[in-house]
Amino acid sequence: MNISMTRIQAILMKDYKEFSRNYAVSTMVLLPLIMAFLYNRLGANTISMYFLPINMTFSIVTTYVQCSLIAEEKEKNTLRSLMLSPASLGDILIGKSLFVLIVTIVSVTMAIFLVGYEPANLFILAIALLLSAVFYIALGTICGLFAKSIMEASIIVLPVMVIFSFGPLALALSSAYPILKLAEWLPSSQLLLLAEALEGKYSMADVLIPMITIIVWSLLSWIFAAIIYKKRMVD
Amino acid sequence: MNAVIDVQHLKKTFNNETALQDVSFTIKKGEIFGFLGPSGSGKTTTIKILTAQTDKSAGNVLLFGQHASEMKQSHNRKRFGILTDNSGLYTRLSIEENLILYSNLYQLSPSAVKEALDFVNLYAERKKKISQLSKGMIQRVTLARAIMHKPELLFLDEPTSALDPVNTQHIYNGLRKLNAMGTTIFLTTHDMSEAEILCDRVAFLHKGKIRAIGAPKDLKKEFGSDTITVELKNGEQEIIENGSQDAEKLYQWMQSDQVTRIYTNEPTLGDIFMQITGSDLV
Ligand SMILES: Nc1ncnc2c1ncn2[C@@H]1O[C@H](COP(=O)(O)OP(=O)(O)O)[C@@H](O)[C@H]1O
Ligand SMILES: [Mg+2]
Repeated sequence: MNISMTRIQAILMKDYKEFSRNYAVSTMVLLPLIMAFLYNRLGANTISMYFLPINMTFSIVTTYVQCSLIAEEKEKNTLRSLMLSPASLGDILIGKSLFVLIVTIVSVTMAIFLVGYEPANLFILAIALLLSAVFYIALGTICGLFAKSIMEASIIVLPVMVIFSFGPLALALSSAYPILKLAEWLPSSQLLLLAEALEGKYSMADVLIPMITIIVWSLLSWIFAAIIYKKRMVD
Repeated sequence: MNAVIDVQHLKKTFNNETALQDVSFTIKKGEIFGFLGPSGSGKTTTIKILTAQTDKSAGNVLLFGQHASEMKQSHNRKRFGILTDNSGLYTRLSIEENLILYSNLYQLSPSAVKEALDFVNLYAERKKKISQLSKGMIQRVTLARAIMHKPELLFLDEPTSALDPVNTQHIYNGLRKLNAMGTTIFLTTHDMSEAEILCDRVAFLHKGKIRAIGAPKDLKKEFGSDTITVELKNGEQEIIENGSQDAEKLYQWMQSDQVTRIYTNEPTLGDIFMQITGSDLV
């Protein structure tokens, strides 16, 4: 695919300007931060509590914002116009995803700080968070491509957000309902398991299994996004 | 070969409904070619196929000697510009910000934005947000975006449908200037006078079929009844053929000083469209 830095940068700048003036979407960024602050006040002191606002950031900031940005481009026909310019789909998706990634990195960092989480191994955790962000961006891309309008997008993205961000909660209930054991393999659960392992004495497997699981989820979801694109965007 | 567009036996169906059937035409470099037809006749569908936004069902479609599907390539997208009724502009951005985005996507020099704004007479209003603009202004911004990279080939889908007469005239002048610099223009319209003013050649499209094709004056010659009306002093109106056969009659009337007024009944393109297709252009 034909990709150009100039064009990616132009798309990213455009997304930044549009996003900063789109208050309905941009104010969503504040929600997880408010949550993080409140949890801190309530005396959050376990990894699973620290991860509530972090997971919320992934679903509300990463997935939801990516999804609604793409759905809006479709609804307003701006995507079609971009596709008639020399911008390739790669330029458009990378530019937009890069923008959402930057917003995610800033939000997650602030959420970690506000909730009072001091990770024992920041380096490994940062890599896992970054890989998770890549997955949640793919998830938002899929929802955005699926939806025909902004309205539809915000409905489609809800169950997806619930399933993927409340994995850890399902895990807590899995002793009562064994079927929920499956939720252990969600990226959000793996991220939590990794973070918990990092606090104590951890083995190679404790790090690699979550990392690989998250990478596999990311790969599969990006492949799925590409398939949806082919199906939805060619008429 | 100097045909910029060469379409042969093009057919397009949408789930069993035929939108285009056996459409053939060629457009030479430097021509302004008009696609005339009422709403639903297949004008937009033709442009979508030519610009690789949708696939044809059958036939042969070449642009610059390449298959239409090749127009998806970045380097080919730089060769054409397009204006459609869907502006595809970012409503929270200003006119200028929208054009800057596209000048970066086409990798143009910064002066291109100002030139494009001048072309559509919007430089003074460049800081306005798209959400605050009238339909006519949006159409002008879309046109500015379409011509900004100085394409060899320009597709205009009903370019003046939302414009007032002053801006329409301004755009006509601009298009003629572009054309004089070598730009080939493919425009669709249901405005016959627009076609007559701008186009070197036109095709009449009706229910997905081309019913006639040629220079406006040739179509008039071929299909129009070429007559002259003579008003006489006794109040009578005589209609005579525009040719030597009726010249004697006219000479007699003039000799006897009976004539008050003479005018030709040259048909408009709209009349001819009506005559060929049996339907109006709206
Ligand atoms: N995506 C589509 N799906 C089904 N039918 C379509 C589609 N696009 C156009 N058509 C049909 O094709 C015909 C030609 O449409 P169009 O090219 O838009 O006409 P025009 O631009 O001349 O008004 C119409 O009958 C229209 O209903
Ligand atoms: Mg149309």
